[in-house]
Amino acid sequence: MATLAPGVKTGPYHAVLDHIHPEPTGFIRKYIFSIDAKVIGIQYMITGGLFFLIAGLLAEIIRAQLLTPNGAVVTAATYNSIYSMHGSAMVWMVVIPLVTGGFGNFVMPLQIGARDVAFPWLNLAAFWMFPVAGVILFSSFLFGAPDAGWTEYPPVSLQGPPGTSMWCVAIFLIGISSTLTGINFMVTIFKMRAPGMTLTRMPLFVWGQFATAALMFIATTALAGALLALFLERTFGVPFYDPKHGGSPLLWQHMFWFYSHPAVYIMILPVFGIISEVLPTFSRKPIFGYKMIAFSTVAIALLGFSVWAHHMFTSGMVPWLQLPFMIITMVIAIPTGVKIFSWMATLWGGSIHWTTPMLFATGFLITFTCGGLTGFFLAAVPLDYHEHGTYFVVAHLHYVLYGGSMMGLFAGLYYWWPKMTGRMYNEVLGYWHFWLSFVAFNGTFMPMHWLGLMGMPRRVATYDPQFQFWNVFASISAFVLAASMLICIYNLGMSLRRGKLAGPNPWGARTLEWMISSPPPYYNYKRIPAVLAAPYDFGNPLPYIGLDAAPGAEEAAAISESHPVPTY
Amino acid sequence: MAQRTVKPRTNLGPGFWPVTAFIVVVSAIMVYFTMTSGWPIGLIPAGEPAPATDELFRFLGSVAAVIFNIVTIYTIYFGIVFAKKKNAPPNAIGVQIHDAFVLEFWWTAIPTILIVILAIYSTKSWVDIQNTQGDVLTVEAIGYQFGYQFRYPRLAAPVSGAMHLPLNTPTTIHVTSRDVIHGFWIPEMRIKADMVPGLINTLRVTPTVAGTYPIICTEFCGIAHGGMKTTVIVESQQAFGKWFAQQGGAHANTSTTAAIPLSAGSADTGKTLFGQKCSACHSTGPFSQKLVGPGLGQIFNDAGHPKLVNGADPTPQNVASILKNGYQGDIGVMPSAQVNAISNTDIANLVAYLASLSKK
Repeated sequence: MATLAPGVKTGPYHAVLDHIHPEPTGFIRKYIFSIDAKVIGIQYMITGGLFFLIAGLLAEIIRAQLLTPNGAVVTAATYNSIYSMHGSAMVWMVVIPLVTGGFGNFVMPLQIGARDVAFPWLNLAAFWMFPVAGVILFSSFLFGAPDAGWTEYPPVSLQGPPGTSMWCVAIFLIGISSTLTGINFMVTIFKMRAPGMTLTRMPLFVWGQFATAALMFIATTALAGALLALFLERTFGVPFYDPKHGGSPLLWQHMFWFYSHPAVYIMILPVFGIISEVLPTFSRKPIFGYKMIAFSTVAIALLGFSVWAHHMFTSGMVPWLQLPFMIITMVIAIPTGVKIFSWMATLWGGSIHWTTPMLFATGFLITFTCGGLTGFFLAAVPLDYHEHGTYFVVAHLHYVLYGGSMMGLFAGLYYWWPKMTGRMYNEVLGYWHFWLSFVAFNGTFMPMHWLGLMGMPRRVATYDPQFQFWNVFASISAFVLAASMLICIYNLGMSLRRGKLAGPNPWGARTLEWMISSPPPYYNYKRIPAVLAAPYDFGNPLPYIGLDAAPGAEEAAAISESHPVPTY
Repeated sequence: MAQRTVKPRTNLGPGFWPVTAFIVVVSAIMVYFTMTSGWPIGLIPAGEPAPATDELFRFLGSVAAVIFNIVTIYTIYFGIVFAKKKNAPPNAIGVQIHDAFVLEFWWTAIPTILIVILAIYSTKSWVDIQNTQGDVLTVEAIGYQFGYQFRYPRLAAPVSGAMHLPLNTPTTIHVTSRDVIHGFWIPEMRIKADMVPGLINTLRVTPTVAGTYPIICTEFCGIAHGGMKTTVIVESQQAFGKWFAQQGGAHANTSTTAAIPLSAGSADTGKTLFGQKCSACHSTGPFSQKLVGPGLGQIFNDAGHPKLVNGADPTPQNVASILKNGYQGDIGVMPSAQVNAISNTDIANLVAYLASLSKK
């Protein structure tokens, strides 16, 4: 039995918790430089959301330019910068920070019954690199933004405008942030789960975060090395990539894709987790095949490391080496298929509540399946010889990144919105947002499949007149897609002002975060609950012990020892 | 007397089997459409290996259509029939099943088998492409910002503008770049390779349909990337011969049997010839001064590289042998004398020139 340290106040539980886990009072410590994972998560979401709007605006300029074959809106040079910045920002400043830093920080500690992440100060540092990196990236527009696409292949990126070096710095910085978050989350998930929460009792969102954290920790270093070399070559002429001075342009491609293919899974595995939370909650059913979903997440993360060269089938490598990369890429379809079928089986026999997050999660099932199937066409080397570098690739990547990651992110946003803000949003506006964006998304990107197959290369500011019809079709759909985002912003804004109070558990969900008030108190749990079973058994009593009880002073002291909390 | 126990049939939900039948019918129609129409590629196959690629595309397209139908239609159907009933109590729950081993086994096993089939099919198609005949005609395509140049055997000067290919002639196209990475794509022939500076990528194609087709750059290469394209004109052997003669072709004697008169080589003639035939890929500096291939200025007396690239000693005979027969290196190809359109006398002159460089 632990004894109280001298000076510890005894009395009501909140007094004890206030002592071991005191809430900062000043505005800056509370909202700006907070070390509370929940606040940091929301900071990530606000910052990432702003960057999403900027990068989305860039996408609209791209689509406006492509309304006519000769592209009257901006010059070719500006266009190249705009699409490069759109891609870079969406990948590194929107999706990766949102799925890991945003939802990971807010939801994951709550779901494992922890009071915070393992290293709150590291978390603070990781977050603040993100807006700094974003500002550096976007301010490159002042000096000539990078223009060689988000992949920045040398040697052409060596000729790029000065902003290309700022791009290197910004992405390097966000890479450090990713690595730190990866370490933080791995330790948190390993060491800070509530008593009784074994690995197979973890919510599936936590499994997704865990696999992602490992990917970020391992893969991002390769990108950092590649970026450093590119920066040195651009700034000091150290010849890494330029063949004129003995460098190898393919070195960059290997290093870049060794990170950027796992990055695809960094962007989708947490979203798989979101889907695996939303579907059972609104179907009022246990997730179907929990273990298979969890193991397939790990399998995808492992296989994801050995497929990077499928981005390089036309780049020039020893021909036979294309075969193993093709086959391993195809093998990834197996665990992914297992997930899709398990989610469909979760719908079967349910009592489905058609809320906005449920619509987004189901829409994800359909659009992500499309993206997965076109991935198969790109994996098959002979077909890739035709499709590589065309709009078919653009269609595929938006089906997995928008139809996959963003749809899942919207599902998560609406799902945890009441938990984050304590208020409900308007369901009717939510439906409008879903249906408009779902139709407009398909209208934007579906035609790109055949545009690419019929001969339209990607990254072009002008195109042949025979492609105009479908480009106009895609552009108009993209404008509708942008309008649907305005509905979302209006809906969430109004919810903050006068939304109905949500209460702790508006959805009837069963994971731990719904057991406490909305928004959760600073210290999350009065007492860390014990976990008896996996969370998804509807109809059974909740598998948690000790949630409601207020710990006595001695018990609180024991908690403070067994679950370290940040000290100031 | 043994009592027969009847296992209760699982009720899969209202209308499950009709929906399944609907999926089968829709899938059959889509597979038929995919297999018989050219859509969505919508381009004629204008040469080998395009028909094989299209066949693989149609096969994959059929499989994808079936999977798409299964996922989409069942998802929508489940969403409709299992929606919460209007009169259901607020705490109504769904069927509490956690897993079903048999189901999970099959939906892992069947995709696995399918992927094995698709992988084998893709591999076979890949092998066919690798074995596509070439080498009757060899053309070099060189990308630059922002255009293409083509070099034909027995033509002294590179050809700008359209590329010409004779019908039904197995052709090898070596592609490389002078500055940054470009793409070389002929959509109608379903072939593409990146043009990487310092590296030679090889495409093989046999044009089978006469016509004019685009050649398109597919790797971002700078401000005018969108306009970087040219055409390939596939024409009859006679028309090609006529065009070729106009370009000043067909002058060198490329006899392969005569002995190479090494002793008669002239370094001065060799120097001119080096400028025409070799300097696009080789510098006259030291080995490390690479363009596409190594620098040749010290080929006979380089202490850092005491052997030739094929492992032979750097004697004039061995250098002449590489010039004559070409060499397939780890990352690049040295074309043969026939491809380079140089005669035995030319080889002797080149060797004499290289020897004079090494003496300096």
